[in-house]
Amino acid sequence: MTYAISVSGLVKSFGQTRALDGLELNVHEGEVHGFLGPNGAGKSTSIRILLGLMRADAGQAQLLGGDPWADATELHRRLAYVPGDVTLWPNLSGGEVIDLLGRLRGGVDERRKTGLIDRFELDPRKKGRAYSKGNRQKVALVAALASDVELLILDEPTSGLDPLMEAVFRDCVAEEKARGRTVLLSSHILSEVEALCDRVSIIRAGRVVESGTLPELRHLTRTSVVAEVASSPYDLADLPGVHDLHISGTRVSCQVEPRHLDELFGRLTTLGLRGVTAAPPTLEDLFMRHYKTASNSSHERPAENAR
Amino acid sequence: MSALTGTGTLVRLVVRRDRLILPLWGLLAAVYPSAIARSTADLYPTAEALRGVAGTAMANPSQQAMRGPVFEASVGGLTAHTVGMSGAILLGLVSMLLVIRHSRVEEESGRRELVGAGVVGRHAPLTAVLAVVFTANLMIAVLMAGTLIGAGLPASGSFALALSLAATGWTFAAVGAVAAQLTESAAVARGIGLGVFIVCFLIRAVGDSSGSAWLSWVSPLGWTLRARAFAGERWWILALLVALAVVLAGAAYRLSARRDLAAGVLPARLGPATATPALDSAPALAWRLHRGQLAAWTAGFAAGGLALGGAVSGGIEAQLNAPQIMEMIARVGGENAEPADFFVNYLLSMLAWIIAAYGILSALRLRTEETAGRADLVLVTPTSRVRWALSHLFMAVVAPATALAALGAGTGLAYSASSGDPGKFPVVLGAALAYLPAVWVMTGIAVLLAGLLPRLSVAAWGIWVVFILLDVFGMLGQVDASVLNLIPFVHVPWVVLGQTAVAPLLLLTAIAAVLGVAGLAGLRRRDIA
Repeated sequence: MTYAISVSGLVKSFGQTRALDGLELNVHEGEVHGFLGPNGAGKSTSIRILLGLMRADAGQAQLLGGDPWADATELHRRLAYVPGDVTLWPNLSGGEVIDLLGRLRGGVDERRKTGLIDRFELDPRKKGRAYSKGNRQKVALVAALASDVELLILDEPTSGLDPLMEAVFRDCVAEEKARGRTVLLSSHILSEVEALCDRVSIIRAGRVVESGTLPELRHLTRTSVVAEVASSPYDLADLPGVHDLHISGTRVSCQVEPRHLDELFGRLTTLGLRGVTAAPPTLEDLFMRHYKTASNSSHERPAENAR
Repeated sequence: MSALTGTGTLVRLVVRRDRLILPLWGLLAAVYPSAIARSTADLYPTAEALRGVAGTAMANPSQQAMRGPVFEASVGGLTAHTVGMSGAILLGLVSMLLVIRHSRVEEESGRRELVGAGVVGRHAPLTAVLAVVFTANLMIAVLMAGTLIGAGLPASGSFALALSLAATGWTFAAVGAVAAQLTESAAVARGIGLGVFIVCFLIRAVGDSSGSAWLSWVSPLGWTLRARAFAGERWWILALLVALAVVLAGAAYRLSARRDLAAGVLPARLGPATATPALDSAPALAWRLHRGQLAAWTAGFAAGGLALGGAVSGGIEAQLNAPQIMEMIARVGGENAEPADFFVNYLLSMLAWIIAAYGILSALRLRTEETAGRADLVLVTPTSRVRWALSHLFMAVVAPATALAALGAGTGLAYSASSGDPGKFPVVLGAALAYLPAVWVMTGIAVLLAGLLPRLSVAAWGIWVVFILLDVFGMLGQVDASVLNLIPFVHVPWVVLGQTAVAPLLLLTAIAAVLGVAGLAGLRRRDIA
């Protein structure tokens, strides 16, 4: 399988701060890849390196088969980018910006452009200074989605959009995917990622800590189990892979690693199961686990061991 | 709840927010006329001297345009002549800006909504700021009249001058109130108010300098002067100004009652829905971003050159015969330098510093585009960094050249007309353009910083200020030659005085080019913020 983006061992420091610390990231051609992580984890730095705006201190990065720094101009013909915080020229109208950016990239497909402006309900005649944050974001989105490119790099593209527009955005990304385009989507909106992404990479403190399809990632994470049993449960704590165990009367709640589900349920059955709910981990659980443990990175498995 | 409920509270809010600006402005505006009066009395102690300077002022059209006529050759008459227009600017413009600051700016920022949701009448905010500004102008007038009388001027003239200026302040405060109702954008409101002021000034300037008095009567600023302080006061002029202020304020209230909060009477201007076919490249974008400034600077320097070249007439020797000035002329221009020629080239050398600022400003556009994040939008397209940078640098190279040419052409035209020597035109134009390589060096310094040391880009302004100070003190002979030689401007030949050294100009151009290339090389290699 070919990679649209392939990054290994990427390091980037700003003074004392190590923004990227051996980043590994692989994005397959034609997939929508979610790029998640807390603020300051290094998402935007990675994206800026991929766009050739910054140079990495060490490591390799390949983008559409080229070097993002050395071949920047050529590669930029084949990609479009939406920043998380769009600033526009105050005296240019939104329509002018969309046309200009399209022409800089080699041409505007008028029909696609008008269609997108309609769908996003954007007034292209307003001047840059008059747009709200969400509308500035729409200008950049229309410019990027209207362009005929192989790769879309979107850095929190829906910040400031209302839920209706977010739905339009999801439809658009799904269409882009159907057209065979690759999308790298950095986002905090988990439902968006869950709905759109084929694979996900979670980055923390400059490293990717999890990477894979959502089912794969779920498999790595604990299932939460709540059970009602007949007799008082007391000897559950010694079971392997059981965490966050709470027992009140005959009610048990805990988190269990997938490969130890057997042992837990075996024991619960001997106690006499009266009722049980088992919830697979949501992306949010997964996410929170990594976000919360930001301080003790040594316990985390690097991405490669996760397979 | 009446329309004025809450006015008192809002008055206190206005005063609290401007508790520093208001007293400073008031004190400055109130006291400086008496300083002018005292120095006029010192400089021209005899009736003959007063008649002489009044005659010069009346004979000089550019003085007439800037300050209007002298109605009487007395200390009071000359004080009124000197203070009339500058006072109108100080009271009128500041009053206007204050009104917009506390009305439209508040609405645009959304703070007015916070206030308007409280127990506040519809007209309370506008009334509050008008009350503060009207009162401030009145207090300034009383203090101004007192200090003028203290300087030994007649009481009635002192009050006429002070009250005519205060009434001008009221009038333009009311202009500000109307402008604030018209648009959603405070910047546009300021532009409208400023435009009205400039048109009033220009009508009066043309009327006074061409002798068409009826034109001056069309402009409220003409009225201000025609209160004739110290020259047979016309008190009814004050009533005219007050009446205009009342009519305008009334119009502002009517407009305010008819519109929604935060909306303007004029709809916000929309741009085109699609770009013109020409807007298709980084250079086209740079042209679009720079062209407004280019037009404004070019027009400004052409007009400034015309005024300056016209002001330097043959009579300048008489005014320049102070020993320090003659010594400076000899040091910079040689023993045989004509004072008028020297004066023209001296002014060019000073204005060239301002054009250098324009060059720096245009070059640092690279940095502002970068920090605002707008550079990213262009740089992630197939536009290379160098092409993007050159698109702005081309404007940073061409724009100061255009401004210098406009300055040289304006000054040269007016100077050749006032001196009756058409041969002055090419010489003055050449003298202005001779500053181009030095201006480019300043541009180059800005490019170098923006490219290599982006965080220190603002240091370009520090270097600019230091160089100006060294240049000014150098002309007075107070700076060591080895230090002076660091300043690019020192090496520019004074073409009006017959100097024609070409080698330094080539060297300066080469230095500018090296600085620019080094900056571009730095930009190519570094991270984009």
